[in-house]
Amino acid sequence: MMISILYGTETGNAEMLAEDIQAELEGDHDVTCENLSDVDPAALDPNRLYLLVCSTYGDGELPASAQPFAEAMDAAKPDLSAIHFAIFGLGDSEYDETFNHGPKRLAELMLAHGATQIGERVAHDASGSDMAEDLAFPWAEEIVGQAEDRLGAAA
Amino acid sequence: MTGKIAIVGAGPSGCYLAQALLKAAPELEVDIVDALPVPYGLVRYGVAADHQGTKGVTRQFARVFERQGARFFGNLKLGRDVDLDALRAAYDVVVLATGMSVDRPLGIPGDDLRGVYGAGRLTRALYEHPDAEALPDLGAHPLIVGNGNVAIDLLRLLAKAPDEFAGSDLGPGPSGWLAKSGIETITITGRSAAARAKFDPVMVKELGKLTGVRFDVVDAGDSDDPAGAKKIEALAGLSGTGARTVTFRFGLTPAEVIGQDGEVRAMRFATATGEETLPCTSVLTAIGFDPSPDLPRDVLLAGATDAEAGALAPGLYATGWFRRGPRGTIPENRADAQALAARILDDIDPDLEKPGRAVLDGRAELVDYDGWCRIDAAETEALPDGRCRAKITTRAEMVRIAK
Repeated sequence: MMISILYGTETGNAEMLAEDIQAELEGDHDVTCENLSDVDPAALDPNRLYLLVCSTYGDGELPASAQPFAEAMDAAKPDLSAIHFAIFGLGDSEYDETFNHGPKRLAELMLAHGATQIGERVAHDASGSDMAEDLAFPWAEEIVGQAEDRLGAAA
Repeated sequence: MTGKIAIVGAGPSGCYLAQALLKAAPELEVDIVDALPVPYGLVRYGVAADHQGTKGVTRQFARVFERQGARFFGNLKLGRDVDLDALRAAYDVVVLATGMSVDRPLGIPGDDLRGVYGAGRLTRALYEHPDAEALPDLGAHPLIVGNGNVAIDLLRLLAKAPDEFAGSDLGPGPSGWLAKSGIETITITGRSAAARAKFDPVMVKELGKLTGVRFDVVDAGDSDDPAGAKKIEALAGLSGTGARTVTFRFGLTPAEVIGQDGEVRAMRFATATGEETLPCTSVLTAIGFDPSPDLPRDVLLAGATDAEAGALAPGLYATGWFRRGPRGTIPENRADAQALAARILDDIDPDLEKPGRAVLDGRAELVDYDGWCRIDAAETEALPDGRCRAKITTRAEMVRIAK
């Protein structure tokens, strides 16, 4: 399967996790890893599965590197109805009121433009005891399994 | 691309710079020198003990050493163990990333009284920095001057109940000191109106979770500006019925610390309409940081080839707070370091004759990355109740464990 991992990061933690997921999946799949700041939402490819990895920053905002992507989405209003994505969030429950609001907003943005979400949005808590990859690797395997059924032969 | 690069300071700016350099050019020899035997600088000794999520960036920094090949030279102080000129002679590139750590003084009458303490001095002691001075008695009514995030951190630590430090790495000494502080009221004062206060709203919202505190926000005013309105809204959301009172005051410009018998009794402020004196038992300043006198920062920046880009002189650069001044969060320093990495890679002209790390290797008291791993293991293997780390607090013990 062709998979693109797209990350939105502020401190680099989401970038590191995205690279870890890439390393985990690339034995069995064709996997790329890109910063959301370098991605044009209108150029997303229906033949790929998009795994979004995104943090939250400040008062529940998108991280800096996801903001140009969100702005381009608002401006160009691309039709994403053929696009499949899943999303993994990074957050810190010290700030419980806005916990994982960044990935939530990013998922809403994708859905608002017609994209199809695969699986549930999973959230890692930096103040918890789990390592992000211990949640993210099983999540990614599960998502890829579901996507293989959904995207079928196209991928 | 080859080349030998020494980064002075193993805090977030130095580590992010090494990360960016080695990502773009994995063949570089990148050495990170630090005066302390342990890495991560401000993340270990400046980020609050109860903000462990923020400290998660150290997992990235560990990889800079473990996978990207950077080397750590801890317990090596620039100016004492090696001087800047010798470092520049040995390396193609030297980068100063030593941050800022000296509490900026109030600069008003009475600021030298016993009972006036800088936030840096207090937080270094709370976070068990090996060079920290002892934690002083603040009395029942400390007053904080400043309302940036450092001031809010200090306020939160002083206001928290002992059980609210669960999961932190606050040490037994500081935990005991806080538990017995006898603090009844804390007043926090800012020079500007609430709408222009320097804190991030999320930091104030976090205060709302404290169980032992009631809040009194005086004259927060209102604002048409969305950013200002968010700050006021965060303040308006503070409630609570605890025994300790935290009072937010705005529009107060420090004029004089008033003492009696050499001890703080009150603080006098200039206001828009005249002046006001607030009684207090100690004055805690959180109004910014100045550079350490160890390096001639002003001279270096004044003579810089391109200060904005962090280029001080041929082969000499600066990043992070050392370059920009004591403002900006960890992500801003990451962006700064990434920009500087690109600049260095453009500029670098490797001289194969330069000895690089050979001039540092072999010193008896050096702590390398493996040494730090032994310290880290010692700090996390036998944990006290409710703590995620038990810091080693003296250099001698750090060096002993590292061996």
